[in-house]
Amino acid sequence: MSEGTSIRRSSSRAGTTRKPKKNQLPIALAVVVLIIAVGIFASTRSANAAIFWITGIAFGFVLQKARFCFTASMRDPYLTGGTSITRAVLIAFALTTIGFTAIKYGYAVKGLAIPGMSYVVPISGATAVGAIMFGTGMVIAGGCASGTLMRVGEMFHMNMISLVFFIVGSLLGANHFGWWKLNFISNGPKVFLPDYLGWFGAVAAQLTLIAIIYIIAAVYEKRRGGGGAAH
Amino acid sequence: MKEVILDCMGEACPVPLIKCQNKIAELEIGDVMIVQIDHSCAMKNVPEWANKEGYNCELEEVDDGEWEVIIEKSR
Repeated sequence: MSEGTSIRRSSSRAGTTRKPKKNQLPIALAVVVLIIAVGIFASTRSANAAIFWITGIAFGFVLQKARFCFTASMRDPYLTGGTSITRAVLIAFALTTIGFTAIKYGYAVKGLAIPGMSYVVPISGATAVGAIMFGTGMVIAGGCASGTLMRVGEMFHMNMISLVFFIVGSLLGANHFGWWKLNFISNGPKVFLPDYLGWFGAVAAQLTLIAIIYIIAAVYEKRRGGGGAAH
Repeated sequence: MKEVILDCMGEACPVPLIKCQNKIAELEIGDVMIVQIDHSCAMKNVPEWANKEGYNCELEEVDDGEWEVIIEKSR
Protein backbone atom coordinates (compact mmCIF):
# COMPACT_ATOMS: atom_id res chain seq x y z
CA MET A 1 0.00 0.00 0.00
CA SER A 2 1.58 3.33 1.02
CA GLU A 3 5.20 2.53 1.69
CA GLY A 4 5.33 -1.20 1.31
CA THR A 5 6.52 -1.41 4.89
CA SER A 6 4.71 -3.79 7.19
CA ILE A 7 2.87 -2.23 10.09
CA ARG A 8 4.13 -3.42 13.44
CA ARG A 9 1.31 -4.92 15.44
CA SER A 10 1.28 -5.74 19.11
CA SER A 11 2.39 -9.29 19.82
CA SER A 12 -0.94 -10.41 21.25
CA ARG A 13 -2.66 -10.20 17.90
CA ALA A 14 0.09 -10.60 15.34
CA GLY A 15 0.87 -14.08 16.60
CA THR A 16 -2.62 -15.47 16.37
CA THR A 17 -2.95 -18.19 13.80
CA ARG A 18 -5.86 -18.03 11.45
CA LYS A 19 -7.91 -21.05 10.73
CA PRO A 20 -7.06 -22.23 7.23
CA LYS A 21 -9.44 -21.09 4.55
CA LYS A 22 -11.47 -23.61 2.63
CA ASN A 23 -10.49 -24.09 -0.98
CA GLN A 24 -13.31 -22.56 -3.00
CA LEU A 25 -12.16 -23.83 -6.38
CA PRO A 26 -14.43 -26.91 -6.48
CA ILE A 27 -17.46 -24.72 -5.70
CA ALA A 28 -16.41 -22.25 -8.39
CA LEU A 29 -16.10 -25.01 -10.98
CA ALA A 30 -19.47 -26.45 -9.97
CA VAL A 31 -21.09 -23.01 -10.33
CA VAL A 32 -19.54 -22.51 -13.79
CA VAL A 33 -20.85 -25.91 -14.91
CA LEU A 34 -24.28 -25.06 -13.48
CA ILE A 35 -24.34 -21.68 -15.27
CA ILE A 36 -23.48 -23.32 -18.59
CA ALA A 37 -26.01 -26.11 -18.02
CA VAL A 38 -28.83 -23.68 -17.21
CA GLY A 39 -27.77 -21.55 -20.20
CA ILE A 40 -28.01 -24.52 -22.55
CA PHE A 41 -31.35 -25.53 -21.07
CA ALA A 42 -32.67 -21.96 -21.40
CA SER A 43 -31.54 -21.77 -25.04
CA THR A 44 -33.70 -24.80 -25.85
CA ARG A 45 -36.72 -22.89 -24.57
CA SER A 46 -36.01 -19.46 -26.08
CA ALA A 47 -32.91 -17.75 -27.44
CA ASN A 48 -33.69 -14.60 -25.44
CA ALA A 49 -33.79 -16.44 -22.12
CA ALA A 50 -30.25 -17.72 -22.63
CA ILE A 51 -29.01 -14.24 -23.59
CA PHE A 52 -30.69 -12.68 -20.51
CA TRP A 53 -29.19 -15.39 -18.29
CA ILE A 54 -25.65 -14.86 -19.56
CA THR A 55 -25.75 -11.03 -19.70
CA GLY A 56 -27.31 -10.94 -16.23
CA ILE A 57 -24.53 -13.04 -14.77
CA ALA A 58 -21.90 -11.04 -16.66
CA PHE A 59 -23.32 -7.74 -15.37
CA GLY A 60 -23.44 -9.07 -11.83
CA PHE A 61 -19.85 -10.25 -12.05
CA VAL A 62 -18.59 -6.91 -13.38
CA LEU A 63 -20.64 -5.00 -10.80
CA GLN A 64 -19.27 -7.05 -7.92
CA LYS A 65 -15.65 -7.03 -9.06
CA ALA A 66 -15.63 -3.36 -10.01
CA ARG A 67 -17.41 -2.36 -6.78
CA PHE A 68 -19.50 -0.10 -8.96
CA CYS A 69 -22.07 1.47 -6.66
CA PHE A 70 -24.58 4.12 -7.69
CA THR A 71 -25.44 4.70 -4.05
CA ALA A 72 -21.84 5.57 -3.21
CA SER A 73 -21.60 7.83 -6.25
CA MET A 74 -24.39 10.02 -4.86
CA ARG A 75 -23.62 9.63 -1.16
CA ASP A 76 -19.85 9.82 -0.80
CA PRO A 77 -19.47 13.43 -2.01
CA TYR A 78 -21.54 14.54 1.00
CA LEU A 79 -20.39 12.05 3.60
CA THR A 80 -16.72 11.45 2.92
CA GLY A 81 -15.79 13.98 0.27
CA GLY A 82 -14.67 11.28 -2.15
CA THR A 83 -15.88 11.52 -5.73
CA SER A 84 -13.97 8.69 -7.44
CA ILE A 85 -17.14 6.57 -7.86
CA THR A 86 -19.14 9.65 -8.86
CA ARG A 87 -16.65 10.23 -11.65
CA ALA A 88 -16.77 6.55 -12.64
CA VAL A 89 -20.56 6.82 -13.02
CA LEU A 90 -20.15 9.98 -15.09
CA ILE A 91 -17.73 8.16 -17.42
CA ALA A 92 -20.28 5.34 -17.72
CA PHE A 93 -22.97 7.91 -18.58
CA ALA A 94 -20.71 9.45 -21.23
CA LEU A 95 -20.03 6.06 -22.82
CA THR A 96 -23.68 5.05 -22.84
CA THR A 97 -24.61 8.46 -24.28
CA ILE A 98 -22.36 7.76 -27.25
CA GLY A 99 -23.46 4.13 -27.56
CA PHE A 100 -27.20 4.74 -27.36
CA THR A 101 -27.01 7.73 -29.70
CA ALA A 102 -25.17 5.57 -32.24
CA ILE A 103 -27.88 2.90 -32.05
CA LYS A 104 -30.77 5.38 -32.25
CA TYR A 105 -29.12 7.44 -34.98
CA GLY A 106 -28.55 4.25 -36.99
CA TYR A 107 -32.27 3.54 -36.96
CA ALA A 108 -33.24 7.16 -37.61
CA VAL A 109 -30.99 7.43 -40.70
CA LYS A 110 -32.56 4.34 -42.22
CA GLY A 111 -35.99 5.82 -41.57
CA LEU A 112 -36.92 3.05 -39.14
CA ALA A 113 -38.73 3.48 -35.84
CA ILE A 114 -36.20 4.50 -33.19
CA PRO A 115 -35.98 1.80 -30.50
CA GLY A 116 -36.36 2.57 -26.82
CA MET A 117 -38.50 5.70 -27.30
CA SER A 118 -40.96 4.47 -24.69
CA TYR A 119 -38.25 5.38 -22.14
CA VAL A 120 -38.49 9.05 -23.08
CA VAL A 121 -40.89 9.94 -20.29
CA PRO A 122 -42.26 13.29 -19.14
CA ILE A 123 -40.14 15.32 -16.75
CA SER A 124 -41.62 17.45 -14.01
CA GLY A 125 -41.38 18.18 -10.33
CA ALA A 126 -42.40 14.57 -9.80
CA THR A 127 -39.05 13.49 -11.26
CA ALA A 128 -37.17 15.51 -8.66
CA VAL A 129 -39.40 14.38 -5.79
CA GLY A 130 -39.02 10.74 -6.85
CA ALA A 131 -35.27 11.10 -7.21
CA ILE A 132 -34.91 12.51 -3.69
CA MET A 133 -37.09 9.73 -2.25
CA PHE A 134 -35.15 7.03 -4.09
CA GLY A 135 -31.82 8.60 -3.09
CA THR A 136 -32.77 8.79 0.58
CA GLY A 137 -34.01 5.20 0.50
CA MET A 138 -30.97 3.75 -1.19
CA VAL A 139 -28.55 5.35 1.26
CA ILE A 140 -30.53 3.99 4.23
CA ALA A 141 -30.96 0.56 2.60
CA GLY A 142 -27.28 0.38 1.69
CA GLY A 143 -27.80 -0.13 -2.01
CA CYS A 144 -29.77 0.83 -5.07
CA ALA A 145 -31.51 -1.88 -7.11
CA SER A 146 -28.43 -3.46 -8.69
CA GLY A 147 -26.30 -2.90 -5.58
CA THR A 148 -28.87 -4.61 -3.34
CA LEU A 149 -29.01 -7.65 -5.63
CA MET A 150 -25.22 -7.82 -5.82
CA ARG A 151 -24.84 -7.72 -2.03
CA VAL A 152 -27.54 -10.32 -1.52
CA GLY A 153 -25.33 -12.50 -3.70
CA GLU A 154 -22.48 -11.70 -1.32
CA MET A 155 -24.72 -12.87 1.56
CA PHE A 156 -24.72 -9.49 3.27
CA HIS A 157 -27.66 -9.74 5.67
CA MET A 158 -28.72 -6.11 5.74
CA ASN A 159 -29.35 -6.11 2.00
CA MET A 160 -31.42 -9.29 2.25
CA ILE A 161 -33.82 -7.31 4.42
CA SER A 162 -33.62 -4.47 1.89
CA LEU A 163 -34.49 -6.89 -0.91
CA VAL A 164 -37.67 -8.06 0.84
CA PHE A 165 -38.93 -4.50 1.24
CA PHE A 166 -37.63 -3.57 -2.19
CA ILE A 167 -39.95 -6.22 -3.62
CA VAL A 168 -42.85 -5.12 -1.40
CA GLY A 169 -42.34 -1.49 -2.45
CA SER A 170 -41.99 -2.35 -6.12
CA LEU A 171 -45.23 -4.35 -6.10
CA LEU A 172 -47.10 -1.55 -4.32
CA GLY A 173 -45.60 0.98 -6.71
CA ALA A 174 -46.49 -1.05 -9.77
CA ASN A 175 -50.04 -1.47 -8.47
CA HIS A 176 -50.59 2.26 -7.98
CA PHE A 177 -48.47 3.49 -10.88
CA GLY A 178 -51.46 4.13 -13.15
CA TRP A 179 -52.95 6.71 -10.78
CA TRP A 180 -49.65 8.56 -10.30
CA LYS A 181 -49.00 8.53 -14.02
CA LEU A 182 -52.42 9.96 -14.81
CA ASN A 183 -52.41 12.67 -12.14
CA PHE A 184 -48.77 13.70 -11.82
CA ILE A 185 -46.25 12.17 -14.19
CA SER A 186 -48.01 12.75 -17.50
CA ASN A 187 -48.35 16.49 -16.79
CA GLY A 188 -44.73 17.20 -17.69
CA PRO A 189 -43.21 17.69 -21.14
CA LYS A 190 -41.41 14.86 -22.92
CA VAL A 191 -37.94 15.96 -23.92
CA PHE A 192 -35.93 14.04 -26.49
CA LEU A 193 -32.84 16.16 -27.00
CA PRO A 194 -32.21 15.31 -30.70
CA ASP A 195 -35.64 16.81 -31.48
CA TYR A 196 -34.47 20.13 -30.12
CA LEU A 197 -30.72 20.25 -30.79
CA GLY A 198 -30.23 17.77 -33.63
CA TRP A 199 -28.32 14.54 -33.21
CA PHE A 200 -24.86 16.08 -33.01
CA GLY A 201 -26.03 18.93 -30.80
CA ALA A 202 -27.69 16.52 -28.38
CA VAL A 203 -24.54 14.42 -27.96
CA ALA A 204 -22.35 17.51 -27.68
CA ALA A 205 -24.64 19.13 -25.10
CA GLN A 206 -24.90 16.01 -22.97
CA LEU A 207 -21.17 15.24 -23.07
CA THR A 208 -20.35 18.87 -22.25
CA LEU A 209 -22.68 18.76 -19.25
CA ILE A 210 -21.13 15.47 -18.06
CA ALA A 211 -17.62 16.92 -18.51
CA ILE A 212 -18.55 20.00 -16.46
CA ILE A 213 -19.95 17.84 -13.63
CA TYR A 214 -16.82 15.65 -13.83
CA ILE A 215 -14.54 18.67 -13.42
CA ILE A 216 -16.64 20.01 -10.53
CA ALA A 217 -16.43 16.57 -8.84
CA ALA A 218 -12.66 16.40 -9.25
CA VAL A 219 -12.12 19.94 -7.94
CA TYR A 220 -14.55 19.33 -5.08
CA GLU A 221 -12.67 16.21 -3.93
CA LYS A 222 -9.37 18.07 -3.99
CA ARG A 223 -10.78 20.96 -1.97
CA ARG A 224 -12.41 18.70 0.62
CA GLY A 225 -9.72 16.00 0.76
CA GLY A 226 -7.99 16.55 4.09
CA GLY A 227 -4.87 14.57 3.28
CA GLY A 228 -3.78 16.54 0.28
CA ALA A 229 -1.78 13.51 -0.89
CA ALA A 230 -1.93 12.73 -4.58
CA HIS A 231 -4.54 10.11 -5.30
CA MET B 1 1.93 3.05 20.79
CA LYS B 2 -1.69 2.14 21.22
CA GLU B 3 -3.67 -0.41 19.26
CA VAL B 4 -7.43 -0.10 18.96
CA ILE B 5 -9.90 -2.46 17.38
CA LEU B 6 -12.88 -1.02 15.58
CA ASP B 7 -15.70 -3.51 15.15
CA CYS B 8 -17.65 -2.76 11.99
CA MET B 9 -19.03 -6.25 11.40
CA GLY B 10 -22.43 -6.13 9.76
CA GLU B 11 -22.16 -2.42 9.07
CA ALA B 12 -22.88 -1.35 5.53
CA CYS B 13 -21.34 1.51 3.63
CA PRO B 14 -20.68 4.22 4.60
CA VAL B 15 -20.79 3.44 8.33
CA PRO B 16 -17.34 1.75 8.54
CA LEU B 17 -15.64 4.67 6.83
CA ILE B 18 -17.39 7.27 8.99
CA LYS B 19 -16.45 5.31 12.13
CA CYS B 20 -12.85 5.19 10.93
CA GLN B 21 -12.75 8.91 10.29
CA ASN B 22 -14.15 9.64 13.74
CA LYS B 23 -11.92 7.15 15.53
CA ILE B 24 -8.66 8.14 13.85
CA ALA B 25 -9.21 11.71 15.00
CA GLU B 26 -9.01 10.49 18.62
CA LEU B 27 -5.74 8.62 18.06
CA GLU B 28 -2.23 9.93 18.32
CA ILE B 29 0.50 9.61 15.74
CA GLY B 30 1.98 6.12 15.78
CA ASP B 31 -1.20 4.45 17.00
CA VAL B 32 -2.62 1.54 15.06
CA MET B 33 -6.29 0.98 14.31
CA ILE B 34 -7.61 -2.41 13.26
CA VAL B 35 -10.93 -2.19 11.49
CA GLN B 36 -12.93 -5.41 11.28
CA ILE B 37 -15.33 -5.44 8.34
CA ASP B 38 -17.49 -7.89 6.44
CA HIS B 39 -18.82 -5.47 3.86
CA SER B 40 -16.96 -5.78 0.60
CA CYS B 41 -17.36 -2.10 -0.28
CA ALA B 42 -15.67 -1.03 2.93
CA MET B 43 -12.80 -3.32 1.95
CA LYS B 44 -12.32 -0.95 -0.97
CA ASN B 45 -13.15 2.49 0.36
CA VAL B 46 -11.51 2.31 3.79
CA PRO B 47 -8.01 1.57 2.37
CA GLU B 48 -8.63 4.13 -0.37
CA TRP B 49 -9.39 6.77 2.23
CA ALA B 50 -6.40 5.75 4.38
CA ASN B 51 -4.03 5.98 1.43
CA LYS B 52 -5.43 9.35 0.45
CA GLU B 53 -4.92 10.61 3.98
CA GLY B 54 -1.34 9.36 3.80
CA TYR B 55 -1.60 6.69 6.51
CA ASN B 56 0.13 3.32 6.27
CA CYS B 57 -2.50 0.76 5.52
CA GLU B 58 -2.73 -2.98 5.08
CA LEU B 59 -5.61 -5.22 4.17
CA GLU B 60 -5.91 -8.77 5.36
CA GLU B 61 -8.65 -11.26 4.52
CA VAL B 62 -9.06 -13.08 7.80
CA ASP B 63 -11.87 -15.32 6.62
CA ASP B 64 -14.08 -15.68 3.58
CA GLY B 65 -15.81 -12.33 3.31
CA GLU B 66 -14.22 -10.92 6.46
CA TRP B 67 -11.40 -8.46 6.42
CA GLU B 68 -9.17 -6.52 8.75
CA VAL B 69 -7.89 -3.16 7.63
CA ILE B 70 -4.84 -2.21 9.62
CA ILE B 71 -4.24 1.51 9.61
CA GLU B 72 -1.29 3.22 11.22
CA LYS B 73 -1.76 6.89 11.95
CA SER B 74 1.64 7.65 10.52
CA ARG B 75 1.25 11.38 10.24
